[in-house]
Amino acid sequence: MNRKLIVRVLGALLAIEGLAMMPAFLVSLYYRDGDTYALANSLVATLIVGSAMYFIPKTEKKSYLRLKEGFLIVAVGWLVMSCFGALPFMLSGMFTRFEDAFFEAVSGFTTTGASVFEGFDNYMHGVVFWRATTHWVGGMGVLVLTLALLPKLTGRTAHLVKAESPGPSLSKLVPKTGTTAKILYRIYILITLLEFGALLLCGMDAYDAAVHAFATAGTGGFSNYGASVAHFDSVAVDAVITVFMFMFGVNFALYYKCLIGERLKAFWRDEEFRCFLFIALTFMLLITFFNIGFYQNELVSAGKDGSFGPALLTSLRYSSFQLSSIISTTGFVTFDFSRWPAASQMLLLLAMFIGSCAGSTAGGMKVIRVNMLFKMSRRNILSTSRPRKVDVIRVDRRAVDETIVSQVAQFAVMYVALVFIGAFLVSLDGKFDVLTNITASLTCVSNVGPGLGAVGPIYNFAQYGVWGKMVLSFLMLFGRLELLPMFILFTRSAWKKY
Amino acid sequence: MRIIVIGAGKVGYTLAEHLTQEEHDVTVIDKSDEVIEHCSGSLDVICLKGNGANAKVLLEAGVDKANIVIASTESDESNMLACLIAKRLGARYTICRIRDPEFNESQTFLQNELGIDVAINPERATALEISRLLRYPFAGSIESFARGLVEMVEFRALEKDRIIGIPMKDLHQKVPGLPRILYAMVERNGSVIIPDGNFAILPNDKVFVSGDMVTITEFFRFLGRNNQKVRSVMVLGGGRISYYLSRIVVPMGIHVTLFELNPEKARRLSELLPKVDVVLGDGTDQELLQEQGVSQADAFIALSNRDEENLLTALYASRSGVPKTIAKNSRMTYMEILNDLGLDSVISPPYITTSTILRYVRARENGSGTHVERLYRLIDGNAEALEFIARKGDPYIGIPLKDLTSRKGSLVSVIVHQGKIIIPFGNDRIEEGDHVVVISSNPGISDLNEVLYR
Repeated sequence: MNRKLIVRVLGALLAIEGLAMMPAFLVSLYYRDGDTYALANSLVATLIVGSAMYFIPKTEKKSYLRLKEGFLIVAVGWLVMSCFGALPFMLSGMFTRFEDAFFEAVSGFTTTGASVFEGFDNYMHGVVFWRATTHWVGGMGVLVLTLALLPKLTGRTAHLVKAESPGPSLSKLVPKTGTTAKILYRIYILITLLEFGALLLCGMDAYDAAVHAFATAGTGGFSNYGASVAHFDSVAVDAVITVFMFMFGVNFALYYKCLIGERLKAFWRDEEFRCFLFIALTFMLLITFFNIGFYQNELVSAGKDGSFGPALLTSLRYSSFQLSSIISTTGFVTFDFSRWPAASQMLLLLAMFIGSCAGSTAGGMKVIRVNMLFKMSRRNILSTSRPRKVDVIRVDRRAVDETIVSQVAQFAVMYVALVFIGAFLVSLDGKFDVLTNITASLTCVSNVGPGLGAVGPIYNFAQYGVWGKMVLSFLMLFGRLELLPMFILFTRSAWKKY
Repeated sequence: MRIIVIGAGKVGYTLAEHLTQEEHDVTVIDKSDEVIEHCSGSLDVICLKGNGANAKVLLEAGVDKANIVIASTESDESNMLACLIAKRLGARYTICRIRDPEFNESQTFLQNELGIDVAINPERATALEISRLLRYPFAGSIESFARGLVEMVEFRALEKDRIIGIPMKDLHQKVPGLPRILYAMVERNGSVIIPDGNFAILPNDKVFVSGDMVTITEFFRFLGRNNQKVRSVMVLGGGRISYYLSRIVVPMGIHVTLFELNPEKARRLSELLPKVDVVLGDGTDQELLQEQGVSQADAFIALSNRDEENLLTALYASRSGVPKTIAKNSRMTYMEILNDLGLDSVISPPYITTSTILRYVRARENGSGTHVERLYRLIDGNAEALEFIARKGDPYIGIPLKDLTSRKGSLVSVIVHQGKIIIPFGNDRIEEGDHVVVISSNPGISDLNEVLYR
């Protein structure tokens, strides 16, 4: 095993993380509410450790990473990164216990947005800004960023990117991995800026707009207000965030294709996008419809006009926001959906499983896999009546290789199994009921944020014990890295030299 | 540059590997899932599954914006078709691998009609390379520069050589009568050294010397190396290389004995090559070899389809006292180990093809500046010898070399000024129109301005 090279790549990763703390540090300098030293210290510590790991070991020019080492780097990298990302939370006194700070950092980097912070609004601005930054950096992948910024450490970087970016297969935009990463980041920055501008126009101040833009971009869901987006109670803000949450759930390669000349056709030609749009719209309309009766009662009890028209509009506003938030695995909240009719809640749970497109910042199983699972099931059913018919699974009118087909099936099985095993492990914590534990596990694996029951939209994860928090942290990492890199961490062969 | 490689076999894969190392944007097209899987895992390229002669696939690979399209699939017809379509769709240059001798007859016509810029016939190129080795049997390999004025010859230093162990600066003092040539490069234990004054050659070093052919011939005579002209060769295997080789060397007055196992093939070869003795039988059979007089041959060339057979038979011939043995090894791996076995020359057709194509790509690299005229990859691609023609107006012109900074690991080894060979020292300067040969252990140079600057 090429230990030195692994250490160097991890060092580069940490150095980049240190640099990412810079904006939060500047914010804390501006507000001066007591977290400046915490951020400065974490920044310097992360940078020093990172550059020491990068510069001290000597590697040969031609050394390259083996597949196993690539997976190890990704898994260990995310763990190490989360530990250092927890530093500002610890040093500023936001949390006093390490497992809380670790949970918060993992939740940030994996863009889950589940919180154990029981603070109040207008808390120390710098630290809260760092929490939003973790979403932004973690969304697109830190190793991808490292590869984009650093000179070539090693050949064969494709499997590093592959292990970190979501989806069954990696689609490159241009031949060089580094250039592809740069293009993706440029698009990412562009859309984030667009949202920031739109939120400013809605009347948010710059700080709130930046925090929410970062949290949407990474499809994370940390807000700087306890009531999440509901705090603003503005139709315009809801609408803007609804649209952008959906946009960040779309494969970024499509934006690139759109920009280099295919225009809007780029989206329509993509089967996964069509599927995603179809699922999102259908779910949204169904939930809106299911919720009309509920909102009629709500309006009446609030002393307003409870007739069909206003109830439909109110339902559309909250339902579309909440669906977009859940299916893009962001996890912002404008309404306590645990009070909705059971049918609506079930659809939201389904949306949690599905998630968004491959190649986006979102979590979940990914639409492309669900799409292929449907085609596989169809093939299986049809083949019972005509066993000799040779049937190929096609995506975008192109035959999919059978190895990928079987990988997708295995992934789905492992995903569902992980959710239930996770729920079992969490329930060993002994605090909550079955609904809470299952949804907590699901929401963490899918990187959504809120669940149901005691981890519902208006509660958070602070009540779990040390064990529960650690299990959930690992579930988030499993989900973000799409299972395999993390599973490999737990095999004995991964740590063997050969 | 944007380069499309069609067919990722031995040649295609190596090409893609080297081209990405030289920072080109490479797209690989291949029909096989397995090949695509392998390429996308280990190379920094875009991989496309499909037929390279399909316009749709080529367009998806961005052929309209491609600078060079290289067709290196198994099939000549597919390659030609791919090049034709690529050219029509807007590719700037096309390089095509054509190996069938039938097509070779009408090569110029095909090239013009199909818009192929370079047609490469690996077997013919290999045969040419072998024929040059036969002309100068003391060399492990020969590269020529400046239209043959300068040659660079590789040989292995032996214990008995009189130059062993003497530092370069004392060489001519301690060994009187040694012809003056340039010791351009030495390979020792797999690493490349550009010798300086304190460097001494040790036994078993692989030494590259350059100069004009007369001096080099004198040099080897001085060392007492085999300098006999090759008059008879034995060739194992009746494949395409053997055919081309016979066509080349028979007119040079060399007698060829060719072993072929397949009766039909042997008969056909005998028809095509009237002056060649075609022997029907297994050329790996020691008895047959002895019976045909292997120990009397001046050279033995093993060109069968199986690398292992080639290497073993060549070793056997060498033991039987054949002064020059050449073995074909199609796989490009294990070259280092083979060098230690004691075989004089091991040649690899895919390697020769790759080098030829890379040379062409490098020469197309920049429109301005002084670009590469010839390029030779030495020591398995770890070092390069490049030839440039100095252009008017470049900053290094007319300035003594000692006042110029040169790229790390690079050396200006020869300057050819108006047909005269200069082995340069600090006070020599490069003038416009001079041929300049640069040796570098740091591959990837495409412009003389990268080597020399103020």
